[in-house]
Amino acid sequence: MKMKEMFMSLLPLCNVTGVGELPVPRGLTLSPDLPAQTLSLTWQSDSSLFDLEIFHTELMNVVLNETVAVKADPVTGLHSWTWHSPLPLECTSHSARIRARNQQSVSQWSPLQTIPGSDIPEKSESFMFPQDKVVPVGSNMTFCCIVKEKDDFKEMMYGRQEMSATRLSRRTYAITVTNQPASGNTGTNVICCSQRLTLTGAVVFVGYPPGDEGLVCETRDLASAECSWKKGRDTRLRMKRSRTKYTLNGRDCLEANERKTWWCGSKVWEESWTLVARNPLGTVQLTDSAQLTDRVHLLAPVNVTVVEVEAWSATLQWSWSVAAYKKLEMVCQLQLFAHELSSTRNYSGPGLSSVVLESLWPDVDYTVTLRCGSKHSFWKWGNESAPYRIHTKMDRPDALDVWIRMDSSNTGRVFWKPLSMRKSHGALVGYEVSQSSAEEDGRTPVSVPPGNFSYPIIPNNSSDITVAVAARNPAGLSQPSTVTTPAYRADSQLSVSKLLGTNGSFVLSWQPNLNASNGYAVEWVPTGCSGLCPVDWKKVPESDCSFTVNSDSLVAGVRYTVSVYSLSTGAPTLLQRWQGYSQEMIPSQSVSELSPSQTGSDVLLSWKATAMEHQRGFIRGYTVYLANAAHLDLIANISDPEVQSYRVKGLSPSSYKFVVKAYTSAGEDAGSTVDIKIEMDTADMLFVGILVPLGIMFCCLILISICCYKKREWVKKAFYPEIPGPKVPGDWSSPQGPLDVKPSPHSLVHIVENPERDFTKEGLFPVPEEEEESENDNIEVDTDSDEPALLRYYNQVVGDGSHSNQVSDSSGSSTASVGSTQTEITYAGIQSPTSSQGACRGGGYRPQMQSVAGPAEPQIEFEADFQDDALNTGYKPQCSWQLDSPEAENFTGSLGSPTSVTSSRFLIPESSEEKPQPSNTWFHNFLSGKS
Amino acid sequence: MEGAADSDTPVTERSAADRAAALARLLHRDCTRLLELYKERESFLSQHAPGGERLVTLALCPEALSTGEQVGHVRSALRRCMGLLECLIVREVEEMGEELEGEYESLRKTVRDRLGHLLHSTGALLEEGEGGCPPSPPLQCTEGQDEVEASGSFAAKIWTYRVLLELIHWTDSASQTLHLFHSEKHGQQQQLL
Repeated sequence: MKMKEMFMSLLPLCNVTGVGELPVPRGLTLSPDLPAQTLSLTWQSDSSLFDLEIFHTELMNVVLNETVAVKADPVTGLHSWTWHSPLPLECTSHSARIRARNQQSVSQWSPLQTIPGSDIPEKSESFMFPQDKVVPVGSNMTFCCIVKEKDDFKEMMYGRQEMSATRLSRRTYAITVTNQPASGNTGTNVICCSQRLTLTGAVVFVGYPPGDEGLVCETRDLASAECSWKKGRDTRLRMKRSRTKYTLNGRDCLEANERKTWWCGSKVWEESWTLVARNPLGTVQLTDSAQLTDRVHLLAPVNVTVVEVEAWSATLQWSWSVAAYKKLEMVCQLQLFAHELSSTRNYSGPGLSSVVLESLWPDVDYTVTLRCGSKHSFWKWGNESAPYRIHTKMDRPDALDVWIRMDSSNTGRVFWKPLSMRKSHGALVGYEVSQSSAEEDGRTPVSVPPGNFSYPIIPNNSSDITVAVAARNPAGLSQPSTVTTPAYRADSQLSVSKLLGTNGSFVLSWQPNLNASNGYAVEWVPTGCSGLCPVDWKKVPESDCSFTVNSDSLVAGVRYTVSVYSLSTGAPTLLQRWQGYSQEMIPSQSVSELSPSQTGSDVLLSWKATAMEHQRGFIRGYTVYLANAAHLDLIANISDPEVQSYRVKGLSPSSYKFVVKAYTSAGEDAGSTVDIKIEMDTADMLFVGILVPLGIMFCCLILISICCYKKREWVKKAFYPEIPGPKVPGDWSSPQGPLDVKPSPHSLVHIVENPERDFTKEGLFPVPEEEEESENDNIEVDTDSDEPALLRYYNQVVGDGSHSNQVSDSSGSSTASVGSTQTEITYAGIQSPTSSQGACRGGGYRPQMQSVAGPAEPQIEFEADFQDDALNTGYKPQCSWQLDSPEAENFTGSLGSPTSVTSSRFLIPESSEEKPQPSNTWFHNFLSGKS
Repeated sequence: MEGAADSDTPVTERSAADRAAALARLLHRDCTRLLELYKERESFLSQHAPGGERLVTLALCPEALSTGEQVGHVRSALRRCMGLLECLIVREVEEMGEELEGEYESLRKTVRDRLGHLLHSTGALLEEGEGGCPPSPPLQCTEGQDEVEASGSFAAKIWTYRVLLELIHWTDSASQTLHLFHSEKHGQQQQLL
């Protein structure tokens, strides 16, 4: 700023060189045009080249410094120059000065002339400029805000966007908006807010100039003009003051200016038209010119009515609202709308006001609309009349299309096709069927309801019957259609050809027949159908010897019998017959009664073809499959459909599943399945049943033997362990005398009388019952007997065991052994004589284990308990280890310990009951090879 | 029969006051919604609420004493509001035309109609014996409008905002006063019975 002031102060000094040569311009005046933001400068001078400077007065910011060539007005002698300010001139005060220039010489500056802005102290209120400006889309614009005295500026916003403001003076701030978008309906708000929240604002309307186009003028009444145009682009200027204003040939278009219409009228035709569309942003001028007769656009006919209606015609009449139309050569277009009967017809004539509508259909509801145009120099169709409804009268129906079909030699049925709307000429109320023959003529007609389309016929055997059928509606009866019963011809009596469909249709051709004076009839009906069959037929002129039965009347997969008859005055004569499918499909059902029969290693499969209605195509053959787990193996393809059996040879004994499928040209059916199990012969049975198990058993024995041999050390320890000698203090090594091993009365081995048993075996010494009992008696009465102490103690042990009910008790097994006295001897549980001897030693060893010996119990009680235990446990041989036995579990750690002869228990358990060993230890050892 | 006739009258009066109060409540909601719609159209009003003097003052009617007089007091203000609203509609239609048929324009018409009904019903209540203020002279749209028009569209928008504020204020006052009026009438009827 300071630099600028220095420059300004120096500026006059620089021009001192020219001083005195050029006079200073005089009478500079400033004339602002505030809405246009222009400042006009006028002055007097003899020069024509001037330097101009314009400042924002308060801060002396130079906004213009330009040299301009301005000639004086020859009348007034004044120089005039206009400057357009980008800033509204109200925003702040503007000052201007001028000097004359000639080449490098300049005059002194004229005195500063100033126009005050609205930010002078005298105007203390807040303002914003410009107000309500209308500008085009994309333009740039500067807004200024003058804050109130003693208030401070805060912010300015354009719409919702806060803008960066520039200070122009003490109270004035400005923003510049570039490329403005189109405004909304009520313009774009620009607001200014002060620190004291004083709100000041302005509205700017940003839009487009008019975009109207396509002016066209025409006449509706052959006198006046109506000019219309397309509105074009929306100007986006909604406010009344900025809307587009229209004038047509200089006259205001009031309706268009109110935005109600886009046309403008003139009472007279002027041949040349100019429409001017103007809004604050621009002007558009549209022109058109034409002769009146070239632009006739007729109004709609009024009072359309029908003056006469018949079944096949009607007379339509209307009038015109413009009298001048009566002399106009015009063309009128009638549009008739009816279901499937719509049509358009043109009529012409001067002042046309009525026409006769021909070729209508009876009993039809027509809707008529009418529009007209000038015939000469046709411009466009006039407005369309309101729809008018016409209902034509009924008429007698057309003759029926009749056919007769014989089911047998003495039954038949006459058929007729329903009449279409065009042929019925009114809703049918029924049919009348009458028949006559040569013998009896004129039988009473039979009435048939309108929903029926056939009637049964019983022909007379002696002569042909002629049947006449007529349709009736309220207008009357149709012409009767007659047909004579043809001779019945069964399929078996004819050579029926096979007919193949072509694209779902039957293409037929036959030899011409001279007797076919009335042409031919082609009849098609589902094969095998009788009674109320869907019979269809078509009558062909005699000149034609071919016909195509369309797929519309055929069903795919249905076998049809197609017959061609020659028609003459008499009965129809059958010429040719076919059977075929319009389109073959795969059979809907599989072959039936599929059965297998075995002969040795062969199987004969036989079946029956499916019924014809399920074949859905000509059976071309059969395929035989062998079903495996996931797929079918083709065994045979029988291409002859008459062959309905197949022999499968060389099957080995096993179970088989066979699938038989019939196939047409469309493919195979789902198939029928049959299972069969092929048995082997006797020699094979023997081989498989005896030798194979023997072989397996032999192999098992060899494996067991090898295993036992490999583990022989372990086997020996497990089943024949070494019994260690007792270690006792004193000299026990040499007894005083031989040990008496007389069996105890309570020996665990009871000998039972068994005649089959061989008692001569070594090591077994039966004890007589009597002796045992007597000794028991002795024990009972004489507790102080002189029996050796060791044996007596043994008895006490046994007696204690007999009282124990605990199976887990160590004496339990001994008790069980005692119980064995009541059963037969089991050799497997008896040790060798060496072992028996050991057992005797064991008997001497036991007292070491038994610390307390209870008194002997009475024998009777013992007997009872003994028997119970015997029943419960039985004899358990030493080698009979049972892993699942609780006792076995408790002593698995005792393997290798000495055992009692009379007990399966180890005499010296290696582990206590509190520390049970895993039950699989010995088995694990066995597998690991430990001994 | 006389007793029946006497009992009908209070019921009718009470119903009329109650209906007027309900209508005032409804109108208050309408006016609030109308201002919301106007703020949606002129978005700056949501951020910068313009200040300024009240458009409708009660200089015509000094301190009201009874509830009935308060009803008359509020009715005078509502009449003034009605005049302002009609001026507003005329100005907006003239400026914008009748092409715009949005929710704002529709509700603006509804408020005018309901305000007319409220003025009519409160007038009927006051004719039943309550005095109230003398009727204020009808507002002429030209009063003060020239200044608004001269100062541009922005000033007109601010003026419209103030009119809507006045409508909200006075319909709320009417709602409360009419409710009080109805309660007092109801209490008097109870005492009589």
